[in-house]
Amino acid sequence: MISFENAGKRFPGGFEALKGVNVRVDKGEMVAVTGRSGAGKSTFLKLAAGIELPTQGTVTVNGQNIGTLKESGLAILRRNLGLVFQDHKLLFDRSVFDNVALPLEIAAYSRVEIGKRVRASLDKVGLLSRERSKPIMLSGGEQQRLCIARAIVNRPSILIADEPTGNLDQEYAAQIVELFRSFNQVGVTVLLSTHDQTGLAGLACRRIALDAGTVTS
Amino acid sequence: MKTWAGSHIQACARAWRRLAAQPASSLLSVLVIGVAISLPLGLYLLFTNISAAASRVNTDPSINVYMTLDASDADARELEKRVRAAAGTAGSVKFVSKEAALAEMKRVTAFKDLMASLDGNPLPHASSLRPAQADAALLSQLRTTLAGLPKVERVVMDFEWAEKLRRFATFAERLVFLIGVVLAMAVVFVTGNTIRLQVLTQREEIEVSRLIGATRRFVRRPFLYFGATQGLLAGSVAVCIVAGLAAWIGSEVQALAGSYGAEFVLSPPSFELAAAVICLSAVLGWLGALLSAGLYVRPVR
Repeated sequence: MISFENAGKRFPGGFEALKGVNVRVDKGEMVAVTGRSGAGKSTFLKLAAGIELPTQGTVTVNGQNIGTLKESGLAILRRNLGLVFQDHKLLFDRSVFDNVALPLEIAAYSRVEIGKRVRASLDKVGLLSRERSKPIMLSGGEQQRLCIARAIVNRPSILIADEPTGNLDQEYAAQIVELFRSFNQVGVTVLLSTHDQTGLAGLACRRIALDAGTVTS
Repeated sequence: MKTWAGSHIQACARAWRRLAAQPASSLLSVLVIGVAISLPLGLYLLFTNISAAASRVNTDPSINVYMTLDASDADARELEKRVRAAAGTAGSVKFVSKEAALAEMKRVTAFKDLMASLDGNPLPHASSLRPAQADAALLSQLRTTLAGLPKVERVVMDFEWAEKLRRFATFAERLVFLIGVVLAMAVVFVTGNTIRLQVLTQREEIEVSRLIGATRRFVRRPFLYFGATQGLLAGSVAVCIVAGLAAWIGSEVQALAGSYGAEFVLSPPSFELAAAVICLSAVLGWLGALLSAGLYVRPVR
C-alpha cells in the first residue's frame, strides 16, 4: 500500500531530512512513526502523502510511484488519502460544516451527498452539534477532531496523521488515538507520527523509530 | 460530463460569491474597467459616425481651370475645346463664363453689397472638369497639361481635401485601434492585479485545498470566472456609458450639424457592437485572471 525503497529527501540548501529509508506499510495496518523533533517524521509522512517528492529512491502509494506522477496526478492521489496536519490547516473564515465539506467540493460531489457525508463524519468525531460554529470557537481537541472529520469525509483507504496528539492533554490525546484505532478496525490503513510515545501507550500497532532521518527500529 | 459541468457551475458560483462578498471594491473595479473600455468604444463610435457622414459627401475629383482676366470670349471657347480634349470622352466639362460667375456671386446675399461696389467684373472665365478616373498620377499629369494651355492663370485640383479627409479617417482609425490596444492591456492588468490580491487574501484556502487534493486547474477556475465576470460587467458598463452619452448629446449634435446645412446623426452602439464589446471585455478579464492565477497559484510544494 505504501512502500519506501531506499527513499531519501534532501532539501534545497543541502539539509538531508531522510536517508535511505526502506519501509513497507500494508493494507489495513496501523503504523506509528516515532522519533524526536527533527528526526524526519513529518518529511516521511509528506512523502507518503505526495506533498514532497523523494530526491533519492522511490515512494510508492497505492501502486503509484509518486516521483513519476504529474502535479495533477499527485493531487488526485491526495484526494484518496485522509490527511491530518500537525497545525490542523483549518479555514477559520468557514464554518465547521464548510471545512469538512471542502474535500467533497474538490471532488465535485453534489450538495445532497456533501450534506450527508459531512454530517456522518462530524457525527463520528462528536462534532455534529457544532456544524455551524466557526473553528475559532472550538477547543484544541475539537479542532483536531474537526481536522480528522475532514480527513475521513472522503472515506479514504489510507489515513495519514502528523502529530495528531501533539498539542493535546492526555485525555484528549487518548480520545484521538481511540478514533484512529476505530478507523483502523474497519480496514483503514493508518500512518501516524508522534514524538510523545506516552500518547500511544496501550495502542497495539507497529512502530517505526526515526532518528536523524534514518530508521533505527 | 456531469462532474465537469458541476465543477464549473460551482466555480462560477464561487466567483459570484467573491464579487458579492466585497461589493464596494468589486463595483469600483468594474467601474474603472468600464470607463477604460468606454473611451475606445466612444471614439470608435464617433469616428464610425463621422465616416458614415463623410461617405455621403461627394468626393469625386474635380479640376477647376481659371483663365487670365484679359482672356476674351474667343479664348474661352478655344480653351473649353482643349479642356474637353484633355478630359477625354469619359470626363465631363462645365464652362462657367465670367458673366455667369458674377451673376452667381450677386445671387449670394453675403456678397451682394461687395459686388455692387465694384466697377467691373473681377472674375475670370473658368472651366470645371470632372475626370472619369481618380488616379492621382493621371490627375497630376492632367493638371500639368491644363496649366500649360494658353491664357490659363491657375489650375486648382478640388479633390485634395477629400484625400486629406481620407487620410484623417485612416489616422483616426489607427489612433482608436492604438488606444483600444493600450486600454485592453490596461483591462488585463487591472483584472490581473485584482486576481493577485484575491489569491493573496485566499492564500490559506488555496494552500489547504491544494494539500487535500485540489488540482491547480480547480483552484484557478473560480479566479478565471471572476475575471471573466468582472470583464463582462465592465463591458456592459462601457456600453451603457457610451449609449447614454450618445443619447444625451446626439440630438444636440444633430441640431448643430443641421444649422450648418449638414446631416450628422450620432448613433448609439448597435446590438452586434455592444455584444462584441461585452464578449471581448469578458475575454480580456479572463485573460488577465489566467495570467495572474498562473503566476500566483503555485505548485503545492
